[in-house]
Parts: sequence; C-alpha cells; structure tokens
Amino acid sequence: MSLNIKIGMIAPLDMIKFAKMPKVREERIAATPAKPLPKTYASNAKAEIYHPRRQNVVIDAINDNVPGVKEIVLKAKDGRLAPFRAGQYISIGIRIGDVKTCRSYSISSAPELAKEGIYKIAVKEDPSGFVSPYIHKEWKVGQELTISSPEGFLYYEPLRDCRKVLALAGGIGITPFMAMAHAVASGREDCDLTVIFGARTADAIPYKNELDELAAACDKVHVVYVLSDEEKEGYEHGFISAELIKKYGGDDYSVFMCGPQAMYKFLECETAKLGLDQKHVRRELFGTIKAPWECPGYPTDSRGKTYKCTVKQCGEVYELEASADESLLAAIERAGIAAPSRCRSGECGWCRSKLKSGTVYIPEVTDGRRFSDIQYGYIHPCASFPTSDVVIDVPAEYLF
Amino acid sequence: MKKYDAIVVGAGNGGLSSACRIAKAGRKVLLIEQHNLPGGVASSFRRGRFEFETALHELAAIGTPEKRGDIYKLVNEDYGVDIKWLPIPDLFRSIHMDDDGHVIRDFTMPKGRKAFTDKMEEYAPGNREAMSKFFELFDECEKALDYIGKSGGNPDSKVLRSDYPNFLKVGAYAPMDVLKALKFTPDAIRIMGTYWSYMAVDMYRLSSIFYLMMVGSLVDGGAFIPEHTSHEMVLGLLERFHDFSGESWFNVKAEEILFEGDRACGVRTDHGTVYSDHIVWNGNPSMAMANCIPAEVIPERELKLANARKFSARMSVVYVGLNKTAQELGIKDYNIFISPGLDTADEYKRVGKMDKIRSTAALCYNIVNPKIGPEGTCQMSFTMAYSKDVWGDVDVDEYVDLKNEKAYEILRLYEKATGCTLIPYIEEIAVATPWTFCRYNMCPEGGVYGYEASEWDNCMARMMSIANDNKIKGVKFTGASGPRGDGYSESLITGSMMGGMVLGEIAREEKEGK
Repeated sequence: MSLNIKIGMIAPLDMIKFAKMPKVREERIAATPAKPLPKTYASNAKAEIYHPRRQNVVIDAINDNVPGVKEIVLKAKDGRLAPFRAGQYISIGIRIGDVKTCRSYSISSAPELAKEGIYKIAVKEDPSGFVSPYIHKEWKVGQELTISSPEGFLYYEPLRDCRKVLALAGGIGITPFMAMAHAVASGREDCDLTVIFGARTADAIPYKNELDELAAACDKVHVVYVLSDEEKEGYEHGFISAELIKKYGGDDYSVFMCGPQAMYKFLECETAKLGLDQKHVRRELFGTIKAPWECPGYPTDSRGKTYKCTVKQCGEVYELEASADESLLAAIERAGIAAPSRCRSGECGWCRSKLKSGTVYIPEVTDGRRFSDIQYGYIHPCASFPTSDVVIDVPAEYLF
Repeated sequence: MKKYDAIVVGAGNGGLSSACRIAKAGRKVLLIEQHNLPGGVASSFRRGRFEFETALHELAAIGTPEKRGDIYKLVNEDYGVDIKWLPIPDLFRSIHMDDDGHVIRDFTMPKGRKAFTDKMEEYAPGNREAMSKFFELFDECEKALDYIGKSGGNPDSKVLRSDYPNFLKVGAYAPMDVLKALKFTPDAIRIMGTYWSYMAVDMYRLSSIFYLMMVGSLVDGGAFIPEHTSHEMVLGLLERFHDFSGESWFNVKAEEILFEGDRACGVRTDHGTVYSDHIVWNGNPSMAMANCIPAEVIPERELKLANARKFSARMSVVYVGLNKTAQELGIKDYNIFISPGLDTADEYKRVGKMDKIRSTAALCYNIVNPKIGPEGTCQMSFTMAYSKDVWGDVDVDEYVDLKNEKAYEILRLYEKATGCTLIPYIEEIAVATPWTFCRYNMCPEGGVYGYEASEWDNCMARMMSIANDNKIKGVKFTGASGPRGDGYSESLITGSMMGGMVLGEIAREEKEGK
C-alpha cells in the first residue's frame, strides 16, 4: 500500500486511539453528572408563546357596530395571547349541535393589545349562513372558546412591499386593515396606509369612527370612503375602480385587498388595467366557494348529485353523504367529525387530506396545493367538491 | 385496545425511514405525526405562486446508473420510492468577504476528481499530491466502512489492521489533522473546509472519516435534489409505507411513552392511547426524556449522556420568490457559500453571537430546476447556522423586526458578494428562525442537527457505541440525534438502521416466546 499516513509522532498509536474511542466516550459519559434535563430551552419557550398549538380565550365583551355587525372582544384565559402581524387572522373552533366547525376572523385590534391578552374580531351576520347567525344569537360574554395561533400572510412586509400601501376594503373586509391602521398609528409599522373603503351607504360603514380617529391622529393613516348606493359630500361615489386606485396611489404603491368574492373579481379587472406587478397586488383569502357550478371547468353533470363519502381518521371509519354542491369539508363536518381547517379557502393546506379513491372538482382560484400533493392525490377538502363516491383519509383536529 | 408491532413517533426523514423498514418486513406499524404533513424539516410550503423547499441543499449518495449511491439504493431501490433526482452542475462556489464587504476570494469547485484537482491547482498551486492522497484515503475509508457494515458491526481487527490501516490511523482525528498530515497548503485547506458548515462543527472537532466520506462522495458522485422539493421525497416514502400496510395518524401529538415496569408498552397521544412494545422516537432524546418518559425508567447512563452532549446548529433560513428570472438577475450558481473565510474554529465562535450576518449558504433552485416555479421568476434561500441559542434572548414582541433586519442583512450580503440585485424583485419572502424549527420539529433551541457530532461524541465514536446506546427498554431514537449524525442521508440511513434493530428485537422476542 503506497498510502501511509502519519499523524503525530508515533503512527501505530493512532490505531489504538481509534479503537479506544468508545471507551473514551463512556468515560466522558460516566464523568458527567446525571442532572435532571431541562424541560424546555429559551428559544423553545419563546416559540411556544409565538406559535401556540391552540389558545384558550373568554368572550370579554360583545359590542354592537353597524347593524348586522358585532365586535367580539376575546381575552386570554390567563396571561397574554400570541403576537400577530397586523392583517393576520385566527380560527375559532365552533360547536353547533353535533357539528364541529371552524371559522377564521381577521384580528381587528392593535397588535400591542395581544400582550395584554386581547384580540378583537368582528362578525357580520349573513342570514343565509350557518355560523354567523349562531354567533350573533348564542355567543355570550363569559363564554370560553378555543382559537388557533395567528395565521395568514396579508401583512405589510417592508422587504417586499412599497412603502405606500393602498388597502382596498369591502364591508367587513376592513378588519385586517383596522389592525394595520393601529399598527401604523402606534409606529409599530412604518408604511403609509391609505384605506379605500367600499360600502353601500354612509351608515353601513363598520368601524368608521375608530378609523376616522386613527386617520385624524396619524398623518400616515388615510381613509377614503367609496359609496356605491349613495352620493354624499366628502365621499367618493361608485366602486373602487382603477381610476380611484390611481388617484390615491400615485406612482409607486402596493395594493392589499380584503372583501367579498365579488369585489375580488371586480378588482382583478381593475388592477389589471393598472399593469401592476403581481408582487404589488395582495389579496386576503378568497373564502369558501358557495356556487362551484359557476366556476370554470365544473362538471355540470354532478350538480345536485349526492355521493357516498367514506372518511378514515386515525383508525376510525365514517360513512356519510356528500353533495357535489358543497365542499367535502362541509359534508365531513356536518357528519359530526372534527376535521382540521383554518382558511377554508384552499390556500393554507391545514385540511390537506388524502383522496384514496374517487374524484373531486377543485376550482383553480382556490387550488393552493403543493406540486407533489397533486401528484400523490392529496386534496384540500375545504376547496374540493365530490364528483363521485370518495374515500378520504383525514388528519385529526385539535381545536376541540 | 390498539396494539401494533411498532409505533413510530415523528414522520421526519428518520421516522419515515424506520417506519418503512419495519412495515416492509410485514410488521404492523403506526406512524404518528404532530403536524398535518410528513417530513419534519424535509418539506415544502406555498406562498403566493411559489412553492419553497424548506431545508434540503443537496443530497450526495445518489450516484449514477453505473454506481448507485447509498441513498438511491435505500430510497429508490429498497423502499421503492419513485423520485427523479436532478444533478447539481458544480459542487459549490465560495466567496470570502472582508469586514468592509470586499471580496477577498471567489472560487468555484467542480465535481469529478480530475476537474476538482485541476481547479484546486489553479486556486492553490502545489496540492496535486495531497489531493491524490486524499482520494486514496477516501477510497480506503469507503471500503473500510463497507467492510464494517458487512461484518454487522463486528469487524475483525486483524483485517482492519492489514487492509485498512490508514482508515484506522485517521479514524480518531479531525479533518484539520488529516489535511495537514496530507500536506495540503493553507489555501487548499481553506477550500477543502468549505463544507464544514453542512456539519456545523469546525474542522478541528469533526470526525475526519465522516468529513472524508462527505467530500469524497460529493466530488465523485456529485449532488442532487428531488425534482419537486423534499416534500416529493417524503410523500413518496409515506406512500410506500402505506403500500407496506403501515397506518399513519397526522395532527396527533404524542404526549408520553407508557411503560410496564421499565419496558415501553405504548404511547399516550392527544388522540387517545396506542400500544406497542417497540417505540421509535424521531425526536430529540433530551426533550423526550425531560417531557415524555418517566424519570424512573431512564437509566442513569442515558441521563448522563444527554447531559454530556451539546446541541448542534440552530438554523435560520430566508426564502424569497423573485419576479425576475435567474438569468435576468445574473445568477449563475446553484449554491454559494459566502463567509469571511476565517479559520473554521473562529467562524464557529462568530456564529455563536447575534452579530451582523457575514456568512450564508445561498441557493438558487432554478439553476438546477428551471421549471421549479412560474415562468419569469426564480426562487432562492439563504441559510445560516448559529452555534448557540442566540435567538433565545429575543423578545417575542421584537421578533418580527429582528427577522426582517436579519433577512435584509443576508440579502445584502449576497448582493455585495455577487453583484446581483435581488431586493427590489422580492414577490414573496418568508423567514424561518430557530423558533420556527422549535415549532415544527420540537428540537431543543431550534437545533435541527441533533447533538454536535464532535470530539468524543463524533459519528465514528457513536457508531462504535451503538450497542451501548438506546438503553431505555423498548425505545429507539431515530433522526438527526442518531449515530450517523445530522443530514438527510444520515437520518434516512439511521432510520433504516433503527428499524432494523427493532425488527431484530421483535424476532428475538418471538423466538423467546414473549
């Protein structure tokens, strides 16, 4: 052998040194005290505060806002709540009869209040809805709720966004921008925020007083109201159009939007006219699609049909019926199964489940799946509509 | 009562590999994972129109159709996962910058022994002989490890002495000792040391054998990434696990290992209790022993071992999706190591503080995979490792600002080193810190690399102590804390090894009629 490596003075001893490694290791172990191990470490403890698996809160107050809108003040059962970035939302586990479901609400209060254990949210009653009428009717001060960590990505990001942010809000879609206005007003976030707030009439603008006060107190918070059904001095009239965005945006700005699906569809055309880069147009969650048959590519044969759905979850098997007209998640929840979900818009992937057999329709606008999830047949049940009998493997949920 | 032949807790690389190994042998296995995805650090996430790789920089040991590497053999052939591996063109580019942000050195090393040696000669003349000896030593170590593996961990010391003397000689030393003994010049040592950051232990304290194996196999076989991120690989493993009749529960958190006497008998989870006499834990042993295993069943030696060990690298990663192509931005390299080019021991000390960021391993995925994202875009990541829990001192209410400050520093570092402009083109950005890894991986201090594989606890020493470790009855630890140390390849191989040990125990117990 040509190679003859010598390390140190007496090469043969190296081999002994090698052979002794386990012994050296055992000696080192034996010489170490058997102290009890720390249960946690500094970063882990901080991560636990920042990203708790769940948070327990009590309804501290329910405040009337404009008609049909209630502001709910949530208070930590003990201590603080997880910090959040202005614009983020929380999901709340809700039981209605046997149904365990979950709804997400943007936090409307100042991020600083989380330290005092406060998040505020606003719930608008949709009389045809399932959850919001229940909340309006049943939720009482003192009631306990389990909520998620703050989630979502509709927040100001100085490394990405223009310093000038146009927040386009429709109706109750104002909530994330309330938190942003608070954050800008307190100096916590350093951007120039113009809220362009679309509403039907001047008396149907939630949070108007609070927003006006913030704008009056801070020269980096501006608000423009746009009324569709009323002409009034000091208010813009019509819809949030490209011209209006241009008027208040100037040359260099990022657009954030939050509102109903119809508004997103309208604004998609308007922002396209402005030729904005995709990075400068950011939209909040699309929301659950309630009329999938209106989406492109929907297999019209399936409309109105009911299919057999077999749900497997942690060793249990459930049989239920699922309509092609509503999301699989809704069918699963209706059957009393606690299934995971957060955004309910196809984006966050929390409900991600394996479609073991069968077919589903997934509207493109709410298909937020990973590439390999598609490859291996995973779906987001919140944005999937059955088009045959299906078998689906669903993870557990821990908000209940 | 739900009883399984084995329960694997944690679906990271190590857990998935153990689960596949045991299930493939026909045993009934339950895999429990606290998140709704498999993979642990090996994953991907969506932001806007991008899907980001979470952790993988490169995998060695894939090899070529002529000479398949260990990971290809294990993942593709043994477990039967169908993955397309994309080769990385060059091994790495390394840029050293001084305090004022001026480039001192800039070198790009190719794969292949000849090309690597020629390039080395260009940057650091006078090292041909040393390079040739280095590869000879690598060959010998590879053969020696193969022999030790085939001997079932009981090699004949006579054979080792006669056939693998150099392996034995360097085995107890650090790479720095070996490189000096091979008479590499200081400039060449600097280049050879580039990969230290992958192991996160300086060149004075690593196991030279593991270091040689990594560098040698990368130079020989090159490096690879899966076509569709780590998520593709772990989903493939999970799919095969299901094919082997394995059962998996996601979003289920294991809270405690249950014991009957001093022998594990099950796991209490937040979704009920499950039973098995064999628990494979894909998580950090120190965390498990402190929180999930009753003190009275932990042998004193295991407690002492945990006390004696140091945690390894605490990670931070900045992910960006840019709205220009790599070509438009002038980016040509897949991976660039940017650092001050200090001695690795000094560098290790430097990253033990929250100083201005001066080192990173930067990746541009589109160089290897032009189709990874939407047209007209590219995506990058910037990783840095901390040698202490410096993020532990950060106030939760200052966290976002600090994340952004650090992301800015790391992006500026890259811009200065390469002359490419990135910041105006950021369409999506996400920043992971050690807290993020605490959240997703439950690892102490955000240290995804397990325990530091250095000095007395280096990988060779661990491998030679396998029979002494894992002494909590019925419990085996898999993953980065295992005998082979950190890294995807190592975790996958450790996983297979631990799975094999469980199979051995089950067979033995069956024979003994338990």
